[in-house]
Amino acid sequence: MLGEFEYLMLTAAARLGDDAYGAAIRQEIEDATGSPCSIGALYTTLDRLEQKGLIKTWMGDPTPERGGRPKRMVRVTAKGVDAASSFYNAVRRVSRGVAWAKS
Amino acid sequence: MGEVMTRLGWALTDMVVQLLEPHERVAVCGDLVECDAGGWHALRQVLGLVARRQAALWMEWRPWFALFGVALPLGIVLSHASRWWADSSAHDIALYVRIWEWSYLGYPGWRRDLFEVLWSISLSVAALSAWSWTCGYMLASISRRTVWITVIAFALVVFLATLGTPTVFRVLHDKYAGHFYGVVLPRLFRSVFVMVPLWWGIHSCRKGVPGQTLLLAGAAAVIVLTVLKSPGLENSLVLGRGVYGDAGPDRTFGTGDDPRPLWPVALVTLWPTVYILATTIGNRPRRLDA
Repeated sequence: MLGEFEYLMLTAAARLGDDAYGAAIRQEIEDATGSPCSIGALYTTLDRLEQKGLIKTWMGDPTPERGGRPKRMVRVTAKGVDAASSFYNAVRRVSRGVAWAKS
Repeated sequence: MGEVMTRLGWALTDMVVQLLEPHERVAVCGDLVECDAGGWHALRQVLGLVARRQAALWMEWRPWFALFGVALPLGIVLSHASRWWADSSAHDIALYVRIWEWSYLGYPGWRRDLFEVLWSISLSVAALSAWSWTCGYMLASISRRTVWITVIAFALVVFLATLGTPTVFRVLHDKYAGHFYGVVLPRLFRSVFVMVPLWWGIHSCRKGVPGQTLLLAGAAAVIVLTVLKSPGLENSLVLGRGVYGDAGPDRTFGTGDDPRPLWPVALVTLWPTVYILATTIGNRPRRLDA
């Protein structure tokens, strides 16, 4: 079972598709939750998800807007899609009938 | 003022980020530049990641082994040895400085005595440097990514373990009340002959500088130095704490028949050398016979 933050990261990475990398995922999570997302939480969770085989990461090409530094690119694996899907379904099932799930 | 503080924050960030792995370092710095982070914000973010990475590393046994199995025991021994040999060297240096006459060099007995003093001091600093180098090499070899914390702990032990204790030289001779002999020289010994070789050992392990032959020859040299300086090492933990040991059957302290209950201390200083030998021999490529 995924953790809440792991699910957020998988979802953000999946939404970003080919443009998923560290800073973009962080921005996506902050926009969605309205809460700050630390680089420490982001990168340690990326490692954990990769160890579980839920994502694959690699170093992209250097870009000028990053001072010539490369991005850590992220792609959600099939196993990651399954895990996120299971988590989402579990949240939907457990939320059935509660007040905040009616809308 | 604001720009100076931002630059300071980035300068500190650049230092702290060195504690991350190279590939992660460039990705994190790139992210921070891309989101136009201020210097202090960047520093907080990087510190948070470094803290998480270090916490994960310290969940394993290797950093704890490096700290409690190597850095602390060797730090205590080298702290006493460095102060004891700094004091004994200061005793000899002060004596020769006080009575020095160039014409004395014409006397064979004076030359022999001077040579013996210089030889003894040279052996002491060589032993200190060798033990520290092997210690640094072993620390970096056991747990490379946590070595900076272990080195800070080691340095604190080396500089503080003798705090509040005198040596018999200090008890007997008032010249150790002087700033140079009492404070500067021991710190100099610890900085130059303990901390610098320690750093060099860490650097050598990281760069993989020494070849196997050189390492084996170095290990043999350390063993010889340890055998030669073992009595002095034991004295550093007795006389070096201002305490006189027990006399032997001849009831005269300082003679050859004095008991040596602390002889195993030499094994502590040889511990990294044994580790280096074991890992070097263990990693030696085996010859494939046809």
